[in-house]
Amino acid sequence: MHGDEGSPPLKIALIGNPNSGKSTVFNQMTGLRQRTGNFPGITVEVKEGTLHFPSGQEATLSDFPGTYSLYPTSTDEKVVASVLTNPADPNFPDAMVYVADVTKLEKHLLLFTQLLDLNVPLLLALNMSDSAAELGIKVNTSKLSEAFNVPVISISGRTGHNTMRLIVELEKMVDGSRNTVHGKRQTQAGDPVNREPFYPLTELEKQVSEAIRQNLGVENPYRALLIAHHANWLHFLKPLEKETVATIVSTKSFQSLRAQVDETLERYDRFTPISQATVTSPPTFPNTPTDRIDAVLTHRLGGPLIFFAVMMLVFQAIFDWSSYPMDWIESGFGTLSAFLTSQMPAAWYTELLTDGILAGLGGILVFVPQIAILFLLISILEEVGYMARVVFMFDKTMRRFGMNGRSMVSLISGTACAVPAIMSSRTIGNWQERLITVMVTPFISCSARIPVYLVLIGIAVPAIKIGGIFSLQSLVFGAMYVLGVLAAFASGWAMKHWLHRREHSFLAIELPVYRMPIWKNVLLNTWEKVQAFIVGAGKIILVVSIALWGLSRFGPGDSIEQADKAAQTEAQQLKLDTLDAEGLVQQRRLEASWAGQAGKWMMPAIRPLGYDWKIGIALLTSFAAREVFTGTLAILYNMGGLEADINDRSDNAAKATLRERMKKEKFSDTGKPVYTLATALSLLVFYALSMQCFSTLAVVRRETGSWKWAVLQFVFMSVAAYLGAWAVYVLFS
Amino acid sequence: MQRRYRTVPDLKVNESARAIAFDDSALACKLTSMGFLPGTRIEMIRKSPFGSAYYVKVDGVRFALREEEAASILLEM
Repeated sequence: MHGDEGSPPLKIALIGNPNSGKSTVFNQMTGLRQRTGNFPGITVEVKEGTLHFPSGQEATLSDFPGTYSLYPTSTDEKVVASVLTNPADPNFPDAMVYVADVTKLEKHLLLFTQLLDLNVPLLLALNMSDSAAELGIKVNTSKLSEAFNVPVISISGRTGHNTMRLIVELEKMVDGSRNTVHGKRQTQAGDPVNREPFYPLTELEKQVSEAIRQNLGVENPYRALLIAHHANWLHFLKPLEKETVATIVSTKSFQSLRAQVDETLERYDRFTPISQATVTSPPTFPNTPTDRIDAVLTHRLGGPLIFFAVMMLVFQAIFDWSSYPMDWIESGFGTLSAFLTSQMPAAWYTELLTDGILAGLGGILVFVPQIAILFLLISILEEVGYMARVVFMFDKTMRRFGMNGRSMVSLISGTACAVPAIMSSRTIGNWQERLITVMVTPFISCSARIPVYLVLIGIAVPAIKIGGIFSLQSLVFGAMYVLGVLAAFASGWAMKHWLHRREHSFLAIELPVYRMPIWKNVLLNTWEKVQAFIVGAGKIILVVSIALWGLSRFGPGDSIEQADKAAQTEAQQLKLDTLDAEGLVQQRRLEASWAGQAGKWMMPAIRPLGYDWKIGIALLTSFAAREVFTGTLAILYNMGGLEADINDRSDNAAKATLRERMKKEKFSDTGKPVYTLATALSLLVFYALSMQCFSTLAVVRRETGSWKWAVLQFVFMSVAAYLGAWAVYVLFS
Repeated sequence: MQRRYRTVPDLKVNESARAIAFDDSALACKLTSMGFLPGTRIEMIRKSPFGSAYYVKVDGVRFALREEEAASILLEM
C-alpha cells in the first residue's frame, strides 16, 4: 500500500471538451465497472468507475460532463466548475486527466490551461491518435509536455492504444505529487506543484481574487477568481459568503462577462504558439466524407425527409423486434405467478406476492425490450454524429414552441420512456427551454400507453382497410402518436408565452465528423438508459403496484367478506361453473374494495366523459402506471384467468375476449352500452394526454428542483386529458 | 452611413470571412470558448432547413449557430 491506509480512495477526474472522445476513454480505462456517482447539490449524474493501477492500488475515476471552459452555460457543464472550485467537495479530484482531440488540439487547449491554473496534478491525454495518423497529423509530445510542464500521452479511445500507459503514467504522477508533500495527501495547504500560473491575472482580477482569498480562505488565486465569476450559483457557498463575494465584485466594479472573454482570448494567445510549434498538420481538404454526407443529410428538403424516414424505421424496428422478448417476459411471469399460487397457501400474502409484487415486477420488465431497442438505436444515431444534425435542423421549429434543437433528443426518447428522456434534457443551457422540454415530454406516447391503445382501438375502430391498403386501426394508432406530439408542441407554445423569461439561450453546437459507432459506448449508453428506467421508474411502479393491490384487495369494514358471500350465493343460484363463479367473486370483491368505492365515488366526475364506475376504478388503479388499465378491466369484467394474458401482445384471443366482453357492458342506470365509439375514443384521448406516471413526476421534481413544476404538470395534463376526452365524447356521441 | 462590418448571416453559402469582434458578451464568452476568435475565418456551409440556424466551418471544425449567435459575430467586409 502507499501509506494512506484509512484515507478515502483516490479520486481522479476525467475532463475534456464535448466530442473529445472522453467517454470512450473512460470506458477503456474502467471497462464495465461503472456506476452513477452521487454528487451532492447537483442533479447531474456523473459516471464513476474503478481504476486499477498496475501496483494494485485502486482509484475512482469520474467522467465529468464535457465542457468548453470553466465558464459554463448549461446544468451539465456547471458540474465541472462547481466541483473544481470547492476543494472540500467529496468529489474534488486528487488528480485530473484532460482528454483532448488531437486533431483539433488548438481548440481543445482552453479548458486545459484553465485546469493548469488550479494546481491539481494534471495529465494531458491526446485522444484520437488513430485519426491523427490517418490525417497525417504529427505531434511532438515531449515538446508539448515541456511547454506545459505536465505528462502528455498519445492515446486512442477507439483502438485502446496506450490506455495502459496512460494508467501507468497517471499513477506515477499521483505518487509523485504525494511524495512532494511528505507522503501526505494534499488537499488544501501548500502548493503541490510550484508552477507559474499559465494565465497571469490582470491587476483588477488580482485584487478581486486576493480579496476573496482573504475573506473566504481560498488558497488558489485562479479558484478565487472563478468564485468571483460564479458565486451566485455555486451551491457550496453560504449566503453570507455569496454576499461577501457580491460586495467585492461590485466595489471593485469587476465586470464578469467581459473579464471572461478577455481571459479566454489571452489564454488562446498564450497557447496557440505552443500548439503551432508542436503539431504539424497537412493542409486540410475541402471536401471530406463528412461534407459529402452532410450535403445530403442536412439538405434543405432532403434533410427533414430523411429524418422522418429514419424515425419510421426506428419505430418499425421497435415493434418488430420487441414483441418476442416481451412475450417471453409476460409468459415467464405468468408461469411463475401460477406456480407460486399453486404451491403457496391461499392467503393474503400469496396474493401480495403474485398480484402485488410479481405483477409489478412483470409490469416493469415487460417494457425493457422496447426501451432498450429504442435507446440502442438512439445511441447509434448519437454515436455516429447524426443527432447533432437533427438538433441543427430542427432548432428553429423547436424554438417556436419554446424549446431548443436539443429538445429533439428528449422528445424522441420520450417515445420509449419519459424518465430517461427528461434526464437527457440536461444538455440544454437555457432554463426556460429546458423546463418546457421537461414539462411537455410526457405528452409523447411512451411504450406504456401501447397496450391501452391496442385494446381500446380494437373496440372503437372497425377492422377495415381504407382503399384496400391502410388498416383503419393502424391509422388511428398512428394518430394517437400525432396527438401526443401536437399536445406537446401546443403546450410548449403556451408555456413559452406564459413564462416569457428573457435569458440567454444557446444553440452553438459542434457538428462532429461522422464516425463508425464504438459499440462498447453504444451498449453502455443503452444500459445506462435502461437502468434509469428500471431504477427511476421501476421502484415507484413496484411500490404503487403493491399499494394498489392493497386498495383493491381490502375494503371498508367487512364489505369484502359480505360481497364475497353474496357473490357465492349468486353463483350458486345461477349455477355457474367453478371458473365463472370464481370470476364473479373476484369481480364483486373488487367492487366492494377501497378502489371500487372510490370508482363509484368518482362517478359524477367521469360520467360526462362517457365512463362508468368500472372504468373509474381502472383509471384509479392505472393512476400511477398506465399499463395497469387493461389488467384491471379484465378483473372487473369477470375475465378470471384472462387477466394475465391481456397485456400479452401476441395473445390476440385474450384481447378479443376482453373486447367482446367490454362491448356487452351496459350502464346500470340507463341500460345503454358503455363502450360506444365515443367512449372508447374518449378513453384513448384521456390516456394519450393524462399524466398517469408517478415515476415521471418524481423525475420532474428532481430535475426541476421543486415539486412546484411536477404538481403543475400533473394538474395541467390531467385537465388537458379531461377536457380533451370530454370534447371527443360530446363530438362522437 | 455604410456599415463597416457584416455578420455571419450575411455570408452567402460557401463564402467565408474573418471575424473581427462580438457584439454580445454572454455569447462572446460561449463562442470564444468554442474557438470562434477574432481573426479566424468563418465559412458559411448552409442554412438550416427551416431557417434561423447556420452550418458554419471554423478551422475545419463544423458548428451549428443560431441566428442570434451568428449575428453577434462581426465580420470584416
